[in-house]
Amino acid sequence: MEIDNGALENIRAAQNPDGGWPYHKGGSWTEPTVYALLAHQAARTTAPGSAGALAWLGAAQQNDGGWTPRPPVDQSTWVTALAAMLPPETIGAQRHARAVEWLLHESGMESSPLFRLSSLLRDGKLPEGPDVSGWPWYPGTAAWATPTCLGILALKKCYWRRPSSRLRERIEKAQAFLLSRRCADGGWNHGSARSLGYNSDSYPETTGQALLALAGTDAGKLQDSFRLAQRFLREQRSSGGAAWLRLGLLAHQQTPAGAPLFSMPCRTVPDTALTIMAAAAEQGYNVFLE
Amino acid sequence: MRRRDFILGSAAALGLAGCNRTAAPPRSPALVKVTRAAAYSQDLYDTMRRVLAAHKLNVRGRRVVLKPNLVEFEPESTINTHPMLVHATLEAFRELGASVAIAEGPGHRRCTLDLADAAGYFQTIPGFEDLFTDLNLDEVSRVRLPHPISRLSSLYLPRTILGSDLLVSMPKMKTHHWAGATLSMKNLFGIVPGGVYGWPKNVLHWAGIHQSIADLHSLFPNHFAIVDGIVGMDGNGPIQGRPKPVGVIVSGQNPVAVDATCCRIMQIEPSRVAYLTLAGGLEGIAEKNIQQIGEKPDSVATRFELIMEMRELRRERA
Repeated sequence: MEIDNGALENIRAAQNPDGGWPYHKGGSWTEPTVYALLAHQAARTTAPGSAGALAWLGAAQQNDGGWTPRPPVDQSTWVTALAAMLPPETIGAQRHARAVEWLLHESGMESSPLFRLSSLLRDGKLPEGPDVSGWPWYPGTAAWATPTCLGILALKKCYWRRPSSRLRERIEKAQAFLLSRRCADGGWNHGSARSLGYNSDSYPETTGQALLALAGTDAGKLQDSFRLAQRFLREQRSSGGAAWLRLGLLAHQQTPAGAPLFSMPCRTVPDTALTIMAAAAEQGYNVFLE
Repeated sequence: MRRRDFILGSAAALGLAGCNRTAAPPRSPALVKVTRAAAYSQDLYDTMRRVLAAHKLNVRGRRVVLKPNLVEFEPESTINTHPMLVHATLEAFRELGASVAIAEGPGHRRCTLDLADAAGYFQTIPGFEDLFTDLNLDEVSRVRLPHPISRLSSLYLPRTILGSDLLVSMPKMKTHHWAGATLSMKNLFGIVPGGVYGWPKNVLHWAGIHQSIADLHSLFPNHFAIVDGIVGMDGNGPIQGRPKPVGVIVSGQNPVAVDATCCRIMQIEPSRVAYLTLAGGLEGIAEKNIQQIGEKPDSVATRFELIMEMRELRRERA
């Protein structure tokens, strides 16, 4: 596939000497580094600096198998799901397996047995069923939409390579979490559909991510979500949001509306990379679902 | 403690103590200025010059970081600190000889520059992108909390903030459905990096919202506060509330005193806002310990509607 507007070149130019990528400028972070590599994969080419990038990522893996968002942070977080989306043959099979294990052992605090018990004692009822479980941004906190979507996408890739009931069950619990957190307007907020009796408003980015993570589920239940995603696309004011919406809609064979790709400024490396990935998806190659 | 950690002392060497060093020392009683400002108009430029002059800030040659509250895309709403107030403040600090930057790390939306663009910052503030740092994605250092009230023992914080001489918190005057009111102290949630902790910054919620606000305050006890109360937000704030015209700017170097004064203007009883008493104690928020200059709070007080869960915060006027 050819990306002919210099977007890939812009990504390459932003690579830091240490091999990683910044969000905008400055030090390297795990998220933009993974997205830069995935954008090259989507364009079916290899990043000239991929060896340096993979070395940088390798150094960012923690002893527990998870990934830190960036040094000097020494806590594994949600970005582990991103690293686990990279092919094992690039990131290293052992590194990859340890990342997947980290994901399988992590979940939002609200689904922990202790929290569920304390909720039962306090409120006289359980917050959610045992078959609902997402991922948090940061260990020890609640599950939210974005890390849950990314966790699903990472584990799905593993499942397609090597199916297992353990992976399938974790994916299904996370998808149940997403469906339980859908807002009244059909989309997704960052993860709380209602607060103190008020409906939360959905966001474009999380709505696109959730649709992508729900690829392969019953589309009949997602018609409101498709309509909202199309409306968001027509009103879109961020390239990252537009890219996620397109990726999500295309995952359900929905034709995206709205302005063409690259018509909005890509202000960060992830914005540019996601726009490239959305362009590839429009041409039939959705890197998140391969 | 690891070498790379910023303990409070070393952080102070970089900037926290700078807040004390560069601005006027805290006074007793705390000085708070309530200034009438009817609208977001060109008059704000002169108003902000007068506001800073009243506080006698010495910032010549110092690095000042303005930290507005950016939340959502809606430029027509009152959800974000108005860009014209930020620009007027920037110009006023520059006239005092400071080097001024703008920084924010929104807690809900990740596309900060797009958000700032939609909120009118690019259009209103020349060279905005060069002045601005997205605190969610900034370089970070770990800062240990010396005496944590929350469950947190340390936080990663952005070096743009740690390296500043004076942090200026510029919130919108809003109700908050969890905290009661979101003002200059709650606005510091925006310096906690989403790139590390996520969107929302849920570690602060799990550690206790009020306690986390008090802990952040303990790291920046003398940040300067300028509260945008020209048009605030009441009801189900800080996102889904309604515009609430008040016509004031509230400023001062003691954030507890500034926020307590804002609560009185909003007809919220400050002693019932847990983070204020955690951070300042009843003495810190007592009217007798706050020297009001400019308008008297009672003369501009406006009843902010509160959601049912927050009605016990209501301050009944004598």
